[in-house]
Amino acid sequence: MLRFIIRRVLWLLLVLFVVLLITFILMHLVPGGPWDREKALAPKVIAALNQRYGLDKPLWQQFLNYIGGVLHGDLGVSYSQSDRTIVSLLAHGLPKTLTLGILAFVFAQAIGIPFGVAAALKQNSAIDYASVLFATLFASIPGFVLGILLMIVFSVTLHWLPTSGWGSIQQVIMPVFCLAALPAAQTARITRASTLDVMRQDYVRTARSKGILESNIRVRHIFRNSLIPVITIAGPMLADLVTGSFIIENLFAIPGVGRMFVQGIFARDYTLIMGGILFYAFTIAFLNLVVDILYGAIDPRIRYE
Amino acid sequence: MKGKTVVFYLLTILMVASLIFGAACSTTTPTIATTAGAPSGEQTITLNLGTENNTIDPNRASWVSERTVIVQCFDGLLAFDNNLNLVPMVAKEIPTVANKGISADGLTYTIKLKNNVTWSDDTKVTAKDFAFSIKRLFDPSLAAEYESFYSNIVGGDAYYASADKTAAEQTALKDAIGVKALDDNTLEIKLTAALPTFLDLLALWPVYPIRQDMVDAHGENWAQPDVNGAMPYYIGNGPFIIKEWVQNDHYTLVPNPNYWGVKPILTKIVFKEIQDANTALAAYENNELDQSGVPGGTESATMADPNLKPQILRYPTLTTYGLRFNMTTAPFDNALVRQAISCAIDRQSYIDKVRGGVGQVALSWIPPGMPDYDASLGQDWAFNPTKAQQLLTQAGYPGGKGLPTIKFQYANTGTNPVLAAFLQDQMKTNLGVTITLEPYDSKALSALVNNKQYSWAIYGWGADYPDPDNWLPQLFMTGAGNNKQNYSNAQFDTLATAALKELDNTKRLKDWADAQKLLVADCPMVFLFYRQTFVLQKPWVKNMVTTGMDGTPGDTFLRNVYIIK
Repeated sequence: MLRFIIRRVLWLLLVLFVVLLITFILMHLVPGGPWDREKALAPKVIAALNQRYGLDKPLWQQFLNYIGGVLHGDLGVSYSQSDRTIVSLLAHGLPKTLTLGILAFVFAQAIGIPFGVAAALKQNSAIDYASVLFATLFASIPGFVLGILLMIVFSVTLHWLPTSGWGSIQQVIMPVFCLAALPAAQTARITRASTLDVMRQDYVRTARSKGILESNIRVRHIFRNSLIPVITIAGPMLADLVTGSFIIENLFAIPGVGRMFVQGIFARDYTLIMGGILFYAFTIAFLNLVVDILYGAIDPRIRYE
Repeated sequence: MKGKTVVFYLLTILMVASLIFGAACSTTTPTIATTAGAPSGEQTITLNLGTENNTIDPNRASWVSERTVIVQCFDGLLAFDNNLNLVPMVAKEIPTVANKGISADGLTYTIKLKNNVTWSDDTKVTAKDFAFSIKRLFDPSLAAEYESFYSNIVGGDAYYASADKTAAEQTALKDAIGVKALDDNTLEIKLTAALPTFLDLLALWPVYPIRQDMVDAHGENWAQPDVNGAMPYYIGNGPFIIKEWVQNDHYTLVPNPNYWGVKPILTKIVFKEIQDANTALAAYENNELDQSGVPGGTESATMADPNLKPQILRYPTLTTYGLRFNMTTAPFDNALVRQAISCAIDRQSYIDKVRGGVGQVALSWIPPGMPDYDASLGQDWAFNPTKAQQLLTQAGYPGGKGLPTIKFQYANTGTNPVLAAFLQDQMKTNLGVTITLEPYDSKALSALVNNKQYSWAIYGWGADYPDPDNWLPQLFMTGAGNNKQNYSNAQFDTLATAALKELDNTKRLKDWADAQKLLVADCPMVFLFYRQTFVLQKPWVKNMVTTGMDGTPGDTFLRNVYIIK
């Protein structure tokens, strides 16, 4: 197990390096740089700005300087966010994005799994249809439409919740709901499908024929095994949620990392783009590793020795 | 395109729904007061800045939202009043040749300061504070974006370009800059060449006074919040101070207890940073904002809403939009083609149908509200489909036959996609020409235009200061920095060169007026519309005075605003 983890971590480092290199190349290939404005800046101003941020050096040198910085924990400073270091921007935005992402994840699982299981156990019943209806509905409404609808109902009409911003529990409710809607729907659907699949497996029939209590069969044989696909999608789902959603953070004016990184791309804020990609790649790779380890704990057929 | 259209309609439906819902629950909203009275209730205003500022260091700032915050905290030597006339602020009087503030050759400015101006820490503002700020504007490590406006100051450019020199050489260059405090109340500025609009430049934020002790002790962090959002080193001489700047979220400003001028009535200003127009409007309707824009395309619905109509704040801004041609690429190298296109576009219909009637048809470049605006200009190339077709025939392309493919480039944001679709339709209907639409990301479009690789693109220009000098030479002189049209007219250049240094104001404005006539005749752009600002404002906000150069509406004179609740 330990050897497996070490090997995966080394791979992770290589992946991060390649991702950074590709990002760096693409970023400089994309037309438009940080100083391209509708009102064009004077060439001497552009030269001064390039010098200030080290963009006057050859590209290979800029990349090596960046990698050198990363190895020392220095991700550079942002050109569009008050020269703040990328590390401090992450420290500032990440707690907000993580709060939203983790709450939305927990909410999605807490809604999705019970509904999915209940729908499967009582297939073709009212609860099954209701669950499928809601899952389809929430999977098909885009987050920003749902967000605006929620605002119209709960802020503009009922005056119960503030529309936007950060700092109070009330401000978290609508964005978490918007973020959780699609994952909850996906989780419910995949749980339902996998539970139905497991219920028809030979080992469940065998267990029944041995006279094991139905409640035991449901928990030990059906539920546990039906969770494997759910966990498979849970990793990327969590990664997706904790890396932040530009649309939801922008709509609700939440100072999280999702909004910041996308703005960084629009602004051609090179260090912010690199920092964002590094953070995303690391989070996704790390959570995939966690999922792989969890498989072993849940499914006795999967072992990494 | 189809997906975008669906989204557009969906948003429109949602907006209309929100307006209806908003109207349905409006019983709690107070009616607009018809007469102003004494301030009452909490004197707090919450406005939307809409974006996170990169910097609020006056020397470095360049965006309107940055200026919005800076003007609350600083007063310059001069300022613009609500009619955009220059008035003295920290300066005792406006320097003139008569009062010996300007030398006869226009090269030396000797500016007397008021004696009672204080910083927010109750120390005196002196000429040294201005001298320090102006010299710092040229600091090469700062890379100040508005440096190029002040190039006429002796020694400025040499210091700005000295990044590769040694520290000693840089100090020598800095000391050689032609700005010095003759005494505590007298500032002297020397120019390399006379600049008739230099006084306008003295009213702009890049040369507001800055405290040397704060910069010496804290470097660029003097204008940055600490981890708690407090800004202890951001000492200004304006009516407000910043209590906190929670980055990417909001600012809270409170009155400067040591303000030297008339104290503001507001006890708190909050600037929020809501970017999404739909969210801002919802926040406004939920009383979280006292002022908000409306999403582009919903202006008509807003005006039709009996509840929102009285809350509309609408005024012309010094911003002109045009469709600039790259005049060295075919077919735009042919003046007849440019003129034909100009005649083929129904600007009033665009304003009415796409912009909800908000805006004014433009037939020339300098907007109303500025010296040299001339309503009679440009009638030759106004909307006239018959003439458009004749011109195109004269150009050698009858009915558009043989015309090279016309491509229109635009940033794929806001209502630009609708503008593009509108143009496509106008060109087809009125000229029989099919054009290709090329949407771009904003930065990519700017790069394309700045590298002159575009063919026909949307362009907007807003005033830095209200003078033709800020509107014509940078855009239309041969080889000028923002002349991406490749426009070149020797007569225009002669007039512009003379006007740029002409100290006789009447003659100067005459030169610019004549220059604009040449420009309009040459049709380097389809002049499209003059912008109007259209926002909603709560009825309890009183004495909000706007100017055509405001970023956030009313930001220049927030010091006079009060609340009656």
